[in-house]
Amino acid sequence: MRDSYEVVIIGGGIIGSAIGFNLLKMGVKDICVIEKSYVSSGSTGRCAGGIRQQWSSPMNVRLAMRSVELFKNFEKDVGMDIEYKQGGYLLLAYTPEEEEDFVKNVEMQRSQGLDVEILSKSQIKSKFGFMNLEGVRIGSWCQSDGHANPQIANIAYSMAIKRMGGDFITHTKVESIDIANKKIVGVQTDRGYIRTNTVVNAAGFESSKIGKMVNVDIPVYGERHQILVTEPVNHFLDPLVINFNHNYYIRQTKHGSLLMGQGDANPMPGEDLGNSIEFLEEMSQKMVRDFPLLRNVHIVRQWSGAYDMSPDAQPIIDESKDLSKFIYATGFSGHGFMLAPAVGESVAEMIVHGKTITMDISNLRMDRFKNHIEIEKNVV
Amino acid sequence: MEGRILEHPILNFQRKARVKIFFEGREIEAYEGESVAAALHAAGIRVLRYTPIDGRPAGFFCAVGKCSACLMEIDGIPNVRSCMTKVRDGMQIRRQNKNGDLL
Amino acid sequence: MMYDAVIIGGGPAGMSAATILGDKVKTLIIDENDRLGGQLVKQTHKFFGDHEHYASMRGFEIADKLLKEIQKKPVLISLSSTVIGIYPQNTVAYVKDGQIQKVQYKKLLLATGAMERQLPFVNSDLPGVYGAGAIQTLMNQYGIFPGKRFLIVGSGNIGLILAYQLAQSGVEVKMILEALDKVGGYEVHANKVKRLGIPILTGHTIVRAIGDEKVEGAVIARVDKNNIVKGTEREVVVDTICVAVGLTPLIELAEQSGAKVSYIPELGGYVPLRDERMRTTNKDVFVAGDLSSIEEATTAMMEGKIAAMQMVEDLTGENLEDKIYDDLNSLAIFRSGPKSAKIRTGLEKMGINVPKIDLPKPQRFERYDDSKLHAVIECTEEIPCNSCEYACKFDAIKVGININSVPSFDPAKCTGCALCVTSCPGLAIFMKRSEDKAATLGIPYEFLPLPKMDDKMWGLDREGNYVCDVKVKRVVKNPNKTNIVYVELPSEFADMVRHVKYPSKESPYVCRCEEVTLDEIEKVIDLGVTDFEELKRLTRVTMGPCNGKNCKMVVLGILSKKTGIPISSLSHGTSRPPTKPIEFRAFLKEGEE
Ligand SMILES: Cc1cc2nc3c(=O)[nH]c(=O)nc-3n(C[C@H](O)[C@H](O)[C@H](O)COP(=O)(O)OP(=O)(O)OC[C@H]3O[C@@H](n4cnc5c(N)ncnc54)[C@H](O)[C@@H]3O)c2cc1C
Ligand SMILES: Cc1cc2nc3c(=O)[nH]c(=O)nc-3n(C[C@H](O)[C@H](O)[C@H](O)COP(=O)(O)OP(=O)(O)OC[C@H]3O[C@@H](n4cnc5c(N)ncnc54)[C@H](O)[C@@H]3O)c2cc1C
Ligand code: FES
Repeated sequence: MRDSYEVVIIGGGIIGSAIGFNLLKMGVKDICVIEKSYVSSGSTGRCAGGIRQQWSSPMNVRLAMRSVELFKNFEKDVGMDIEYKQGGYLLLAYTPEEEEDFVKNVEMQRSQGLDVEILSKSQIKSKFGFMNLEGVRIGSWCQSDGHANPQIANIAYSMAIKRMGGDFITHTKVESIDIANKKIVGVQTDRGYIRTNTVVNAAGFESSKIGKMVNVDIPVYGERHQILVTEPVNHFLDPLVINFNHNYYIRQTKHGSLLMGQGDANPMPGEDLGNSIEFLEEMSQKMVRDFPLLRNVHIVRQWSGAYDMSPDAQPIIDESKDLSKFIYATGFSGHGFMLAPAVGESVAEMIVHGKTITMDISNLRMDRFKNHIEIEKNVV
Repeated sequence: MEGRILEHPILNFQRKARVKIFFEGREIEAYEGESVAAALHAAGIRVLRYTPIDGRPAGFFCAVGKCSACLMEIDGIPNVRSCMTKVRDGMQIRRQNKNGDLL
Repeated sequence: MMYDAVIIGGGPAGMSAATILGDKVKTLIIDENDRLGGQLVKQTHKFFGDHEHYASMRGFEIADKLLKEIQKKPVLISLSSTVIGIYPQNTVAYVKDGQIQKVQYKKLLLATGAMERQLPFVNSDLPGVYGAGAIQTLMNQYGIFPGKRFLIVGSGNIGLILAYQLAQSGVEVKMILEALDKVGGYEVHANKVKRLGIPILTGHTIVRAIGDEKVEGAVIARVDKNNIVKGTEREVVVDTICVAVGLTPLIELAEQSGAKVSYIPELGGYVPLRDERMRTTNKDVFVAGDLSSIEEATTAMMEGKIAAMQMVEDLTGENLEDKIYDDLNSLAIFRSGPKSAKIRTGLEKMGINVPKIDLPKPQRFERYDDSKLHAVIECTEEIPCNSCEYACKFDAIKVGININSVPSFDPAKCTGCALCVTSCPGLAIFMKRSEDKAATLGIPYEFLPLPKMDDKMWGLDREGNYVCDVKVKRVVKNPNKTNIVYVELPSEFADMVRHVKYPSKESPYVCRCEEVTLDEIEKVIDLGVTDFEELKRLTRVTMGPCNGKNCKMVVLGILSKKTGIPISSLSHGTSRPPTKPIEFRAFLKEGEE
């Protein structure tokens, strides 16, 4: 750790790391990422690793599509195999309302250039005969969706940052941000003071605390989500399956284990990351019903993590109007991993060029909350 | 010297009823109350599975349900801890290859 | 269902507690075995301790006695029940008959005991490498011969007693290895084993197990500060290797219950913090027995009683102070001897103190006239063995009156017959002839497949490292199965190569579940990963079905050794439920499909 950097990124999760990596790629070498614990200790370390483009808001679709482009080259660009696989995403509709939404969404997604289609029940049956499809009306299917290992991706970025000459400082906590004449002049950590004029707040569900340090209100809060993993079984499930109606998602990792989670009926706000046995009970009942072949498979671990929720379940990416060079990329609401490569690129562009180049993400700015809030619905 | 201890200076082993179990289709001597891993061991079978990644032979380690080294396919169900499963008449036991098939 | 007291673990600690709680409050005791007794049911030897605590009874008899006492009281006993987690609202979840059950407690006593540590060495994943407890289960519970010839690693009381038990059942124990420079267990236990003719080699460890599908032998060697000492490797022919290198408290449930744990190696590793009366940092949760410190059945029983009496006081207000003081006093006396010094230190300080051991330096061997074939005796240990002296018809080898002496060798008298090589049980004698460029090396070989003429093999040094390719020139098959493989190799390697093998994966497995080798772990650490959590995510160590029970400490040890960060300063991850793999179907309501 040196005593001054051009850019200080707070938070060594997937987002902070992606931003750091892209800055270095664009030639900004004098940067550091500050992480209060280990790499992937936040939401990223709890994440299921799904990468999907089938969203209900066009902005999310475009960002995810750009990310997929970047995920395809991840191994070459960043230098590590992150178990990326385009095994598709299957979304299931059970009610007429869901069916209608799916059809509408697919139309919108196709207009954004995404290769996505509606599958009939019998088409689903012939693809995935092992599933119990009772009550299913249609499905929405995108082959280029997929999944990867978020923890390895996070560590891969951190190692690339160090390799490329940036600093990645773990076990160091930002305690305050120093301002003089309405400008950032430095950051105080529990292991020393760092002079800087540019701060990126990528502190995940804790980004509101960083905001408070400089009186910028960031409406992001944590919400507990539980997840479990089974013992490995031989490969049988390519896609990640989302069942909004039965409220779960499931995927099989490269290693063979099945990873699955649900949105709790009453998600616990805050940072308590405890586990509940009801979660195991609910998931087990759903799994044995919808995937009868999982009946005798063993659960080996459960855990929980915080979704980094924003008011409309969409990211907030902006530079503060009141404090220049205070940039934040947060509020990913349970889909920050899949967006990270594109967000890293855009935020790095904002810092280098003063505006984004590759993507127009202006409608992810903070001021959107002054107007009507359009909530992203496709969230589990 | 596989097989069962008949004489012991301290302990007195009284075996319960004989049960028929099958390992890879072959009948194996077993007695009520024995664990699958124990009965197989008595029959000289030490390799209980082949591991998923490197395909190495594996046997039990703790024999008390704590380490998951002893996973086998029992009556068609993969990943059963054979050290904690008691033998049952007619039981079909197979070496597990890799992670075990669900389909 | 709500209970005043729930006891998890029915070993001596849990059982003793039940005898007290049973009369006074509504009590449930849960154990995953189909009978109560814990470690006791497998012990056929007479126990130490004081008379009040069943001294001189055999372990399984103590279990029977405690069970009879419990059965006199209205205690609910749930057997074959595995607790998988402690959840909010004082909820204990356990699986019985493939079905999940939930109960609640006002006070909880955790007496889950400990589980065995594993030791990674090359091929430690081969069938035939078993934990001491596994061997006892097979032998003393099921009455099944666990194997034929044993190597025991660890000379603590468990290893010593196990050796004795094996001998009793009529099988052969080749030797016991102890990495430290003195026997770990009680001297009397050691003597009992020694007089049966089982050597205990201190300052030794296992280098590797040998075999394809199951254990056929082992290479053992001296250790010096955790390193194998060159030149001391030798092969032993065994079919079972028993790992008895100590126990680690099973703290997962304690952690889940909210009890704070701390790393105190004197007590066995991570242990729950608790007060004198066994209360953890969660006022409703108590611990006793091996879970609180790896010790004895006697202390486990006393702790169980003290915890139980305090729980009764909490629950009913009854005054049991006099009795508690009595038991605290007996416990203090029991622990006042020299063998309890470690426990006393552990209990006294929270600071970590890794003991340093000085072991002998590697011994050097003289060089001989190399132009004719002669024996090279590398018998550096004082072991009770003189087979070479008897084998030699030419008076070249002398052990002398003390069979423990290292043999002395007069090369001038050696004719190169190699009978000594064949006879040496320690496989410590080699044949050698060295000319200008090529040398011939005769290596005793007791493994299958037997190398064939003209096969290309790897010549390995005393640490098992690849040295050079060798070519098999001659294989002398001997009726005693110690065959001699003569290989040709460049002469500069003649004093380095001590074993030949066909190529295979070389690094030992550390994490059996995920099949991660020491090599792989060290490579990732070399990339700059110094956090256990990151190491775990990159290599998957500790992420298998056993949730790291077996290898977490080993991994932390490797990380600590390589980074210089003490184990206590490393993050050790989180104990997440379920502590045991559990099927989805266990969560179905009765009759639901
Ligand atoms: C159970 C679960 C499943 C999920 N599944 C998916 C999925 O399938 N696909 C997907 O795309 N997303 C998923 N997500 C969401 C995804 O994990 C998050 O959106 C994403 O990881 C956010 O990344 P981040 O870098 O912003 O936050 P984080 O990973 O939380 O990183 C923020 C970092 O900032 C650090 N920090 C905070 N305060 C300070 C400070 N003062 N000083 C220094 N450092 C600080 C934290 O320690 C933390 O490491 C899931 C989340 C959960 C919980
Ligand atoms: C070979 C050997 C020789 C010994 N010799 C002596 C001796 O001579 N003298 C002496 O005093 N001591 C001796 N001991 C030590 C003594 O056996 C232990 O200290 C004592 O058994 C510890 O008692 P405990 O009740 O704490 O644990 P244990 O006896 O280990 O019992 C713990 C119980 O908890 C159960 N359990 C654990 N987790 C769960 C779960 N999740 N759900 C349900 N149940 C669970 C276990 O199955 C087990 O039955 C010896 C030990 C060994 C191995
Ligand atoms: S051998 Fe350890 S779980 Fe079966």
